[in-house]
Amino acid sequence: MHRRGVKRALAIPLLLSMVVAACGGDDDGDTASDDTSVEATTGDATDDTGDGGDDGGDDGGDVTTPATVEDTDTSIVREEGERTYGGDVIFGLEAEAVGMRPWEDACGEPCLNIQLSMMEQLMRERADGSYGPWLATDITSNDDFTVWTMTLRDGVTFHNGEPFNAQTIVDMYPVQQSGTSGAAAINAAKLASLEATGDMEITYTLSTPNSAFPASLAGVLGRVFEPKAAAADPDGFTMNPIGTGPFVMDKRDIDNETVVVRNENYWMSDPDGNQLPYLDSITFRPIPDEGTRLDSLLSGTVNMMHSLRQGTIRDARGADGIQLYEFQGNNTGGGMYNTAVPPFDDVRVRRGLNLMNNQEAVIDALGGTGISLPATQWFSPDSPYWTQEAADAWPTFDFEAGVESIQAYIDDPARSDGKAPGELIDVELSCPPDPTLIAAMQVIEQVWTGSGLVNVTLTQFDQATHISNAVNDAHRAHCWRWSSNQDPSLAIDPVVAPPEESVSNFPNFFNEESFQLAQQALQTDDVEERTELYKEIMLNFAEDSIFWYSGYTATMVAVDPSIQGINGWLLPDGTLGNGFPNAFVTFTEVWIEQ
Amino acid sequence: MARVIATRLLRLVATLLAVTFLTFSMLELLPGDPVDTLLPPDANRTEELVAQIRAELNLDDPFFVRYFSWLGDFVRGDLGKSYITGQTVADTIADRLPITLQLAMMSIGMALLIAVPLGILGAYKQGKWPDTVTSAGVQVALSVPNFIFGIFLIWLMAVQLQWLPATGWNRLTDQGLVANLKTSVLPASALALSQLAVFSRLVRSDMIATLQENYVLTARSKGLPDKYILFRHALRPSSLSLMTIVGINFGALLGGTVIIETMFAVPGLGFRLINAINSRDILVIQGITVFIATAYVVINTVVDLLYSALDPRIRRS
Repeated sequence: MHRRGVKRALAIPLLLSMVVAACGGDDDGDTASDDTSVEATTGDATDDTGDGGDDGGDDGGDVTTPATVEDTDTSIVREEGERTYGGDVIFGLEAEAVGMRPWEDACGEPCLNIQLSMMEQLMRERADGSYGPWLATDITSNDDFTVWTMTLRDGVTFHNGEPFNAQTIVDMYPVQQSGTSGAAAINAAKLASLEATGDMEITYTLSTPNSAFPASLAGVLGRVFEPKAAAADPDGFTMNPIGTGPFVMDKRDIDNETVVVRNENYWMSDPDGNQLPYLDSITFRPIPDEGTRLDSLLSGTVNMMHSLRQGTIRDARGADGIQLYEFQGNNTGGGMYNTAVPPFDDVRVRRGLNLMNNQEAVIDALGGTGISLPATQWFSPDSPYWTQEAADAWPTFDFEAGVESIQAYIDDPARSDGKAPGELIDVELSCPPDPTLIAAMQVIEQVWTGSGLVNVTLTQFDQATHISNAVNDAHRAHCWRWSSNQDPSLAIDPVVAPPEESVSNFPNFFNEESFQLAQQALQTDDVEERTELYKEIMLNFAEDSIFWYSGYTATMVAVDPSIQGINGWLLPDGTLGNGFPNAFVTFTEVWIEQ
Repeated sequence: MARVIATRLLRLVATLLAVTFLTFSMLELLPGDPVDTLLPPDANRTEELVAQIRAELNLDDPFFVRYFSWLGDFVRGDLGKSYITGQTVADTIADRLPITLQLAMMSIGMALLIAVPLGILGAYKQGKWPDTVTSAGVQVALSVPNFIFGIFLIWLMAVQLQWLPATGWNRLTDQGLVANLKTSVLPASALALSQLAVFSRLVRSDMIATLQENYVLTARSKGLPDKYILFRHALRPSSLSLMTIVGINFGALLGGTVIIETMFAVPGLGFRLINAINSRDILVIQGITVFIATAYVVINTVVDLLYSALDPRIRRS
């Protein structure tokens, strides 16, 4: 029974109870109030997903990636149909984007949808995982990837009329250095300095080789904002961000709606020479409740929504009259062990716990059966970096082998936790207090406890405290998400770096070989060679067992079927963009079918 | 009366001091350095930034020095500034308060509009079928949590009938009354249900007691019409406890709309508070909490004073 069915089921007893109570005068007040677990539904996965139509032919072709879950099409294709101007999109987001300062504020998927409708990046990711120029036109490096020279696009202006040129990038740099996000991005990219080497040319000098530097320019570091406005009123920028993007801020009413309207002076055209964008406006509305967000789409209150929750994807699959765009990204759910603390400093314990992690059951508890694949590495099968060897190496559920591994530790007189041989090990398992995470945590607890070798204590902290505990090493077995759809180096490097040098090495584990492999991957831009290097790191992850995995994170954009162009947008060089990763939509070529 | 007012105001000040003290202590009670609490976990924690925050919040001063300094700022309306939105907390509250106030007033208004006639009917027809039916309905209304009723309303009015938007908020000042009512009626109705039940029960029981009073029996024996007796003689004395509960509920609603505001995506105080909690925007949490607590205490004091003014027996006691 899908969500709407559940609601009917909810409503009918309510009405009936009112009638019965009215007729019988029953004072028990028996109502449907118990039936609040509306998310705990099951439903058949249908193929009602948006493949966005057929190949558009001559506009950059298409890249069809393999479907990752049965009956789910995750292809990125150029959409057919006559593009038309006009129309307004109302987009229901899962949260408000409180910060719009790219140099300062952390920006998740809801925020990216708003921010990148107004601001653009120097580079963007293509459908095949490579990076192509957007506000840049070209980027080249020296042989050892320590000096990068980038040419900028001419004829681009900011919303306030200021020109975009090399001086813009130079002026942005001190603002970026002063901000939380900007400084972190500079550090991650290994950027040492930059200078304008021409009116439209920038030269970046890095402290160490970084072949993935173009990927950094597709992130925070390459997000172009108007530096004079930012310097003049940094706080005001949150309410009135100024970029070069296809839409201009019209109204910012935090927690209610953010309205952006077409930038009449936008520089980009479609392959037929029509000026972009097609839409008149986009209204972004934060609707945190998953159920009412979907109801808002079904009722026409909004005509587009996104979700990062598997339960909502399942409910949306069962709904009529909407089109779904599903994405199975690299983002990998699961957790980590703090290897600085016994008994997690012993690989026998970590491996044993991993062998007793029933991923299928955990995914089911998370509501992801038929939606999310069990993860085996930091790349989903859609990624060019996914390898079969890494998938085969990951320890799959083998309860007996897990018991054997932990028993070996327990019986060891020199066990690291200081307990006597034969005593149970203590595991504190912590997750944020999300209902589905709690259910998943209970599944893990049952299996681990069922071994008769593990005392499990469950703890829950709010998201911010949960993160803070990891940052401050106050964690043990800790729920976490790994990886992203950016270049692998951005996610992997901080985790394999020495713990004393990297606050993001939350497991506090150092494998010299993994660290060196990650460094080597920054010294080549050959995808096959890099895939091989990252495969070796994934094999080490499986061997070291510092993480446990559940499934990859499925995301969804659901729309009124008249809304087109979400899938298969193009970069300025005519190559196909990376679609709608993690429910982030590129609005440049979105149109409403008349 | 002056003594009553003075006593009430003294109590008000004492309560407010306790409320502000506890709210201010929140930052101290959290483990670790307050700077860690204020900074996002992934922040670039430079020495300059830490020093700047310590200086802004006077974190190097003793606790009570900081408390009284903060209290002084609070009295002047300076509750600090959000480290995330850049907005002052006072502006944030000023922006959201009208929305939450409107929801609270609408829901109480809707509840009273239905509850008072139902209560009178129940009392007038005590033990007969209209009383039985309304009592049963009230019992159901009391048993249904407001968010469940909210889900039902969205399903019926937005998804099935498509008469009203499921979520969102049209500001009265921007989009006019009709557009505003379209977005406010569902959340207000969801909030009204349980209040309606409480109000109705209260009116019914008070009215039954009043109708037993000698002066009502005298009025009846004089042949006055029932309608006249109910509305002229019985309703006013039966409304005193209703007025108290309305006041208490109104204060509670200022901070009690969190779930409904979140469900219907209404940008009121509760929605901002929950977002601030999620993003650990401590100064906003502090500011809104202390504001809501203050409003609650002040409203209850005003209700107490009105109660005394309306009923001379209480004033004299």
